[in-house]
Amino acid sequence: MRLGSTAPAPTSTEVDLGFVQQAVQRAGRRPEAVIPILQELQEHYGFLPVEALRRVCDQTEIEPAAITGVATFYDMFRHQPAGRHIIRVCRGTACHVTGADRVEEALRLHLGIPAGSDTDPNREFTVEPVACLGCCTLAPVVKIEEHTFGHAKPEKASGIVREFRERRVAGAGDERTTEAIETAAAAAVEIHVGLGSCCMAKGSDELFHALRDSARMAGTGIRVKRVGCVGMCHRTPLVEVAQHGKSSAFYAGLTPSNAQAIVRRHFQPAGLRQRLAGLWNRTLDNLLLDNTADPVRECALDMNAPAPRAFLSRQVHLATEHFGSLDPLDLDEYLAQDGFHALRQCLEAENPARIIDTIEQSGLRGRGGAGFPSGRKWRVVSGQPGDTKYIICNGDEGDPGAFMDRMLLESFPYRIIEGMAIAALAIGAREGVFYIRHEYPLAVRRVQTALAEMEQRGWLGDTLLGHARPLRLRIMEGAGAFVCGEETALIASLEGRRGMPRLRPPFPAQAGLWGRPTLINNVETLALVPWILRHGPEAFAALGTEGSKGTKVFALAGSVQRGGLIEVPMGTTIREIVDEIGGGVAPGRQLKAVQIGGPSGGCVPAHLADTRVDYDSLRAVGAIMGSGGLVVLDDTACMVDIARYFLRFTQDQSCGKCTFCRIGTKRMLDILDRLCVGRGRRQDINELERLAVSVTQGSLCGLGKTAPNPVLTTLRYYRDEYEAHIAGRCPARKCQALVKYRINDRCTGCTICAQRCPVDAIPMTPYARHTIDLDRCTRCDTCRQVCPYEAVEVE
Amino acid sequence: MITVTIDARSVQVEPGQTLLTAARQLGLEIPTLCHHEKCTPSTSCQVCLVKLTGNGTSRLVPSCATIAEDGMVVESQTAEVFDARRTALELLFSDHVGDCLSPCHRICPLQLNIPRMLREVEAGRIEEATKTVREAIPLAGITGWLCSAPCEQGCRRGTHDQPAAIREVERFLAEREAADEKAVPSRRHPASGRAVAVIGTGPAGLATAHALLHAGHRVTLVDRHPEAGGSLRGEVGEGRLPSRVLRAELDRLERLGARFKLAVELGQDLTIDGLLRGFAAVVLALGEGGKAQASALGLLLQPTGVKTNAETGLTNLARVFATGSIVKPLRQVVRALADGKNVGHAVNRFLAGQVIQRIPKPFSSLMGKLAPDEVRQFMIGPNPAPRVTPGTGPQPGFSRDEARTESSRCLHCDCRSAGDCDLQRYAEIYGVDPGRFRGERRPFEQYLEHGEIIFEPGKCILCGICVQLAEQAREPLGLSFVGRGFDVRIGVPFSREIDEGLQRVGRECVEACPTGALVFKDEFERQMLGFSATGRCGRP
Repeated sequence: MRLGSTAPAPTSTEVDLGFVQQAVQRAGRRPEAVIPILQELQEHYGFLPVEALRRVCDQTEIEPAAITGVATFYDMFRHQPAGRHIIRVCRGTACHVTGADRVEEALRLHLGIPAGSDTDPNREFTVEPVACLGCCTLAPVVKIEEHTFGHAKPEKASGIVREFRERRVAGAGDERTTEAIETAAAAAVEIHVGLGSCCMAKGSDELFHALRDSARMAGTGIRVKRVGCVGMCHRTPLVEVAQHGKSSAFYAGLTPSNAQAIVRRHFQPAGLRQRLAGLWNRTLDNLLLDNTADPVRECALDMNAPAPRAFLSRQVHLATEHFGSLDPLDLDEYLAQDGFHALRQCLEAENPARIIDTIEQSGLRGRGGAGFPSGRKWRVVSGQPGDTKYIICNGDEGDPGAFMDRMLLESFPYRIIEGMAIAALAIGAREGVFYIRHEYPLAVRRVQTALAEMEQRGWLGDTLLGHARPLRLRIMEGAGAFVCGEETALIASLEGRRGMPRLRPPFPAQAGLWGRPTLINNVETLALVPWILRHGPEAFAALGTEGSKGTKVFALAGSVQRGGLIEVPMGTTIREIVDEIGGGVAPGRQLKAVQIGGPSGGCVPAHLADTRVDYDSLRAVGAIMGSGGLVVLDDTACMVDIARYFLRFTQDQSCGKCTFCRIGTKRMLDILDRLCVGRGRRQDINELERLAVSVTQGSLCGLGKTAPNPVLTTLRYYRDEYEAHIAGRCPARKCQALVKYRINDRCTGCTICAQRCPVDAIPMTPYARHTIDLDRCTRCDTCRQVCPYEAVEVE
Repeated sequence: MITVTIDARSVQVEPGQTLLTAARQLGLEIPTLCHHEKCTPSTSCQVCLVKLTGNGTSRLVPSCATIAEDGMVVESQTAEVFDARRTALELLFSDHVGDCLSPCHRICPLQLNIPRMLREVEAGRIEEATKTVREAIPLAGITGWLCSAPCEQGCRRGTHDQPAAIREVERFLAEREAADEKAVPSRRHPASGRAVAVIGTGPAGLATAHALLHAGHRVTLVDRHPEAGGSLRGEVGEGRLPSRVLRAELDRLERLGARFKLAVELGQDLTIDGLLRGFAAVVLALGEGGKAQASALGLLLQPTGVKTNAETGLTNLARVFATGSIVKPLRQVVRALADGKNVGHAVNRFLAGQVIQRIPKPFSSLMGKLAPDEVRQFMIGPNPAPRVTPGTGPQPGFSRDEARTESSRCLHCDCRSAGDCDLQRYAEIYGVDPGRFRGERRPFEQYLEHGEIIFEPGKCILCGICVQLAEQAREPLGLSFVGRGFDVRIGVPFSREIDEGLQRVGRECVEACPTGALVFKDEFERQMLGFSATGRCGRP
C-alpha cells in the first residue's frame, strides 16, 4: 500500500522532460523558484507529472518535500491530466445566487462526467469551479478557454458547449492583443472602448478590434482608444465617442457588427469621393438588409438620463481618477494627467518622514479589509533598523464578488507603481514585489508592460524617475490560494513555501520577507497615495467620516439593477449605494440584505440599510469593510444558504494549519449542510453559534478568525430562517432538498417541460396536465423557467 | 528580564522567551501537542491557548509562540481558556480515525483491558495475563463461567468472521490460576486501619469487599445464610457454576483478609447503628429480595429499589452505602460485580476523605462501525484461523495452546499508543467529549507492511514535528504536508513509503509524535508481545 500523496501519473516515456531545464533556466535554481517553476510546468504539461517534479529536484536546490508540499497546496496545480478544454464555472457570490450550482450540474450531465471526476470520458472537457471570474453582472458565468458565456442557465448547457465548438472553428488562430504600448497622435474623433477584463468578457475586445478595422478603412483622423474600466458593468461594452467641440456620445451594448455604422455616424471623410462612396454603401446596405430599425441608435446612451446620472453623481473618483478615459498603458498620457508628479516631488524633497506625516494626517486606512492606519504601518517599517527593506503590493484579491484590485491594476498600472514607489521612498525600500493572482492574467500583463516601459525609459531599476535612487519592482503570480491574501501567508508564498500564515507578532513590518522589515499594502491603498500627496492630506480627510477618511471602491453586484464598480466617499449609506447608484432591486422584489466584505464580512439586513459604510459602523452591525465586495440580496435569497456558501468558500480555502480553522470550519459547514437538506437537529443552531465563536477566538490568522462572520450575522438577523430549516422548510424556497416542484392546472399539456427536463422526470403526456416524478427530479428549475403558462410551482 | 503576570502571579523570563516558558516556570501546566523543543513553533494544535488581558486587549493566543513582553497579563486557568482548549481537542477528535481503547475493553462493565490480556496470552506470558485479569475483575473465576460476554458482541473480529472467544481465554486463565497451589493473592495497598461491613455476599457484596480489601481496609462480610455466595449459590444449584469455583473465589477473599459472619441477620442480630459504631462504613448488598428489610431499617426506597446517589452509592443514611440488585435489579452477574467494584471504589474514596465517586470511565476516541475494507486493513497480521472451540480434554475450556491460538486472532484494534499519548492524556484532563462534533469519518488507514514504522494517517494531528525534524536532518526525501485545508495529510514525496522518507530520524520522529500516528513496529511488539520478531505484522 502506498501513501496517496500524489496521484498516479503517466510513466516517463509519455512525458518529455526537456522542458524542465528550460523552466529552471528561466526561474532559477533557488528554493524560492519553486512556484514559478511549477507554474511553467503546469502551463506546459497541463498538469504536474511526477517525473518532472523529480527532475526539478535533481536540477535545483528544491527539496522533494518542499516541492510536494507546494505542488499540493495551490489550486492552479493539477496532478492528473485535464481534458483538452477547461470549462470554468464561476462560483462568485453573484453567480451563486443566480444558480451557478445548477449550471455546473447541467454541464456535467450534458458532458457525461461521472461523479467523483472532473473530466468527461473522452477527455475533451474538464469542468473546474473557480472562485470568481469577476464578471458578476453577467452572472452566472461560464468560461471555456478564453470564451466567456454570461447569463448561463441549466437548460443552455448543451448550447454553450455547441457554441464554444463553433466559435473555435470560426475563430481559430485569431489572436490579437490589447496590451501593446502605443501613443497615437491626437485625432479629431476619439472612440474610447473600455477594456477591463469584465468588459472583455462581454466582448469589448472584439468590438475594439472591429472598430479599429473600420476606422482604418475610413482613413485617418479617427483614433480608437483602449481605456480602462468604466465602472458601468451593467452597460458594457461601453463606447464613448469624443469629438473636439462636441459633447461625447455614449453607446452601450454594441457588437462588432455595429462597428462600421459607428464610425460612419461620427466621422465624415474629407474628400467628396469618399463621402459619396460612403453614402452609396449605406444606401446599398439599407436596401439589401432592409433594416428599418437602426441598431446603433438603439444602443445610444444618454449620460444625462436619470439612470446614468444616478449611477455617477454620488461617486468621487480618487483611486479611479480619470476612469474610462485613460489608456492604461500610455505613460505619456498618465504624465499629462499629473502622473508621477507626486513621486517626483517626493524624490526632490528627500524627506521620507514628511511623506509618512502626510499619509498619517490624511487618515488613510488599509483598503485590504482590516483598515489598519497606513501611516502608522509605514512609520513602523521606516523605524526598523537595517538597510534592506521590502515593499509588497498585495494584489491577491480573492474574495468572491470583489474585483476592485483587478480593475485598478488593469486600468491604472502606473498609478499603483507610483504609489508603491512613494511608499518605498518613505520606508527606505529598494526592492518591491507585485503579488498578483494568476487568475488575473490581464492585470499581470498590463503591470508587466508598464514596468517594462518604465525600465526602458530608465525610470525604474538603478534609478527612479532619473534620480539616483534604485528601485526594483517585479511581479510574482499567486498560484491560487485565497489565504495568501494574509500577509504572512503571502510572504511564505513569495519565499517558495506553502502559503501558511504564522503567528503575528512579529509583524511583517518588523520581520517580513526574508526576515526583513516589509511593508505590505493593498492595491487600492497604494492607488490613493499619489492623489493624497498631490492634493494634500486635508483634501483627503475632508471626505468620509470621523474614523474613515476618503473614498472606497466597491464592486456592486447581485440582485441590483445597475451593478458595477463604484467609488464613493466613506460614510455613504448602504441605501444610497443600493437604491440611488444601483437603482434598487428588480421590480416586484424586496431588498433583503446586503452582503459586505465577502467571506470575512457579514449580511446587513434591509432594516439597517441606513448604516454608513465606514470601518466602524460596519463593524458595529457585524459586517466588515473587507476589500469591497457588496452583493445585494433580494427576498429570493435564503440566508442559511448564503451563510453556507461563504463558509464553504473559506473552509475550502483554509490552509489547514490550525485546528480551529481546519476542522472547526468543516464542522460548521457540516451543520449548515445538514440544515440545508432538512436533517438539522434542534441543538444544531446553538452548537453552530458556539463553534462559530470558538473558531473566531481560537484561529491563528484573519481567515479563520473572520470565517464565521457570515454565519454569525445571519444568525443574528435571520435566526428564524435557521429555525425554519430545522423544521424542514426553506422560506426562500432555495434549498433544493427542502422544495418540491409541482405542475398546477394551468398546464396545457404543451410538453415543453417534458422535452427540456434533463433527467426525464416529467413523462410526456400531450394535451394533458403533466406531472413530475419527485424521486427523479433534481430541482434544476428548468421546467419552471421554460413553462410558458406559469404552471410549474415550487413549494 | 521581562516580567509578565500569569494567573495573578508575576514571573520573570529572558527576553525572547515565550509565555509557555514563563508559565512552566511558575509550575503551571499548559497542554501542548505541536510544540517540540527542536522545532520552530508551528502553532497548529492551538491547545496551548492562554488569554491575554490588560491594556485593552482580550484575546486568546497560543502560548507556545507568543513572546513574553513586559507587563503582559495572562490568564491560563480560567473556564474560558479551558473551554477553548477543550474545544480544540474535541475538534481534533472529531477528525481522529482510531479508537484509544478497543470496543471490547470499553464495553466490558469491569473495564478489562482485553487486547492486552490476549497479547500476553499469545506471547505465553500467562502470569502477566492473569494479573491483567485480576486487576480488573474481582472474581475472575466466576466471570469465566457466568459472564454474558458483552465484549464479544463488540469484537471487531466478529465483522470479519467470528469474534474472539474472550470469555474462554479469561476462563482459561482463572482455571489455571486456581489449579496453581502457589498462587497466593496479595493486597495491593498497605493496611489502612479502617473497617467496613458488607451486608450480603452475592456478587455485588463480594466485589465491594474485594475492592476494599485491596485498598487495605478490614472487611467483614455478613450474610443471614449459613453459606456465602448469595445469588451465586443459585447458579451453582442450577449447574451453571461449579461449586469448586465459588469456593475457590471465597477462599481467595479470606486469604486477602475478609472475615465472614454467616447466619447473622441484620435487624435482628445486628442493627445499623450498632454496625456504624464498629465500622467506618456499611455497605448493603442484600440483593433484590432485601428491599423490605432495608425499608424497615429506615432506608428510603424508590420504585427500582433502595434510593442511592447514583454517583456515590450513598443512601439516605450517613456512612451507609448500597450496591447491587437492592438498588436496581441486575440480571447479569458481570453488572453486579461491576456495581460492587464501583461502590467499593467510592467507599474507599470516602474513607480517604476524597470526593466520593465511582471509577471514572477511561477516555477513548470512538471510531464507530468499520466498513469491510477497513476490517481488512486490521486483518493484516492477526491469525486468519476461525474461532477455536475448546477441545474435550480432562479440564473444561481451552488448553494452553488453544488459548494462545485463539488470542492470536485478536485484531488489536486498540491504539498502539494508548496510555502513551498526549492527545488521550489531555482528553482525560479536560473532560473531552469525543463525539461532540459529528461529521463524516475518513476511512481507517494504516501502513504497516513495509519497513519498521507503522503510520496511521487518521491519528495524525498535523503538528508537523516529523516534517520539521526530517527537514533539519536533511532527509533525502523527508516528509511533507500534502494538500490543503481539511484535506491536508502527512505524506512522503513522490508517493514513497514512510520508511523511505524517514531514513535518518525515524526513531526521533516516532518518539516525538504526540499521538499514535507513528509507531515503531518492533518496539510495539517487544512491549506488547514480549518478542520482537518481525513476524507478527509480516505474517501472511
